[in-house]
Amino acid sequence: MNKIIYIILVIFIIFLIYPIYVLFLVSFVPAIFTVDRLYPYQFPVALTLSNLELALSNPQMIHAVYKSLETATLVGIIAVSLGIPTAYGLSKLPEKIAYAITTILFTVNMMPSIVIAIPIAADFIKIGLFDTALGLALAQELIALPLTSFILLGTFQSIPPELEYQARVDGAGLFRSIFEVLIPLAREGIIASFLLSWMLSWDEFTFAVLISPIRPTLPVLIYLYTTRGNILEAAAFSLFLTIPVLILTVFLQKYLRGEYLGGGLKG
Amino acid sequence: MSAIKRENVSFFLFILPALIYVTVFSFYPAAEVVWLSFHSPVSNSLTLSNFKALIYFGLPQAILYTVIVVVGALSFQLFLGMGVASLIVSKVKGYRALYILALLPYGIATVVNAVDFSFIFQPTGGFANGILKAIGLPTVNWYSGTPLELFIVILADSWRNFPVFMLLMLAGYASIPRELYEAASVDGAGVVRRFFEITLPNLKKYIAIALIIRGISEFNIFALPLILIGYSPPLLTTLTYEFYSTTVTKYYSYAAATILLAFIIVFIVIVLKLGGGGRR
Repeated sequence: MNKIIYIILVIFIIFLIYPIYVLFLVSFVPAIFTVDRLYPYQFPVALTLSNLELALSNPQMIHAVYKSLETATLVGIIAVSLGIPTAYGLSKLPEKIAYAITTILFTVNMMPSIVIAIPIAADFIKIGLFDTALGLALAQELIALPLTSFILLGTFQSIPPELEYQARVDGAGLFRSIFEVLIPLAREGIIASFLLSWMLSWDEFTFAVLISPIRPTLPVLIYLYTTRGNILEAAAFSLFLTIPVLILTVFLQKYLRGEYLGGGLKG
Repeated sequence: MSAIKRENVSFFLFILPALIYVTVFSFYPAAEVVWLSFHSPVSNSLTLSNFKALIYFGLPQAILYTVIVVVGALSFQLFLGMGVASLIVSKVKGYRALYILALLPYGIATVVNAVDFSFIFQPTGGFANGILKAIGLPTVNWYSGTPLELFIVILADSWRNFPVFMLLMLAGYASIPRELYEAASVDGAGVVRRFFEITLPNLKKYIAIALIIRGISEFNIFALPLILIGYSPPLLTTLTYEFYSTTVTKYYSYAAATILLAFIIVFIVIVLKLGGGGRR
């Protein structure tokens, strides 16, 4: 019995690692041994950084990284500044009303990005937000805001209400007690929400390709290079897209919990 | 009483900005798309002509292939998520490392996921064929037919997204009281019986949640098929995008998008019915 479990374990591990290993090979092994060969070498026969230099010397990629950074940071800022009041309100309202509003927020996640991106893109052209980082961030926020609100709701609920009452008794107004008591205590959840929203935007493709196709973000640039057949550049760009997210995923694993992904649903 | 009500109104004001935002940016555009999809691009009168035209442009295939990808990917992810979660819960040697390792695919962007799998599955050559050749098996043209192409999409997508299932299954396992298992062992129930009589019924709600979250995303799967297989075989999303980017009128893409939305709603209703009402 134990032997079977370990065989299954090994198969799972190979399945999990192999695609990441291939990404590593394509990024750090000279192209003549990987993508330029019919049957690429499965082992790192030589290592090089020239693939990354190729990516870094590409002005289009620098622009795309800049656009991605700008958009992702905006998404993070909007997520936190809209998410904190939303989560605070939800934590205070009667359960029935809070439940109805949570359901509305969850419904937003249900709307297919491609469905809403088309009319949004048309409207953005009219008001000058098309192809801008702010316009794209406002659209991508639809993915980030529900998740952020649920994480922050969980954080606020874990803070003992007595602390807030105490501040109010001591004469602090509603806003002062929020800014001076709740927000400092919820700091960890707020940082996690910001980083998760940042990550969602950094990866996002559907809104980006429809709303910001002219000066693309990094995921869209990778797509454009792949369709033009510039595989090597696409692979090098891919590594730049991956590294920050991989680091954040491991760093944020505490917040990648089933409860949050489940839209605040409790067991 | 009225003091509480007044207080509630002020708490509601905190939520108002978010509600206005989602209405303007999500519900209104979606309603606009559905409304316009029933209108003629020429005369602006109510009509079904957009939908009828789509039937000639690959809509039936797109629906069929979308359903295949959704069902295939969800089953595969459920299997993987349940498998890895069970291994972690049974605390096999190295289960902590397995947990971190299993989260890594979720840190790979969808676009990179697609580029990566396109290196592995090349029509001729590539990493997968390299392995087949090394162990003496015939190589495969992975793009030689629709079933194989859909299989690659399902495989690539499941690899990246099964962690959602794993995380929710872990949350589900944590909610099952230990005593249930102990009592069952005392009664002489084996591993298999314990799985079907305790684990599965208790995980039902979590499985339903995972199916809804991932199911919505599976219907919306876009970047991955676009990069791996292009517009053909078509899925509802790639068909929508193809119409949007190649035809003069947007009305066909609106119609395709409306059908996509309808499928998502039907899917959620089915899962909620099977999952026993979803929440609580």
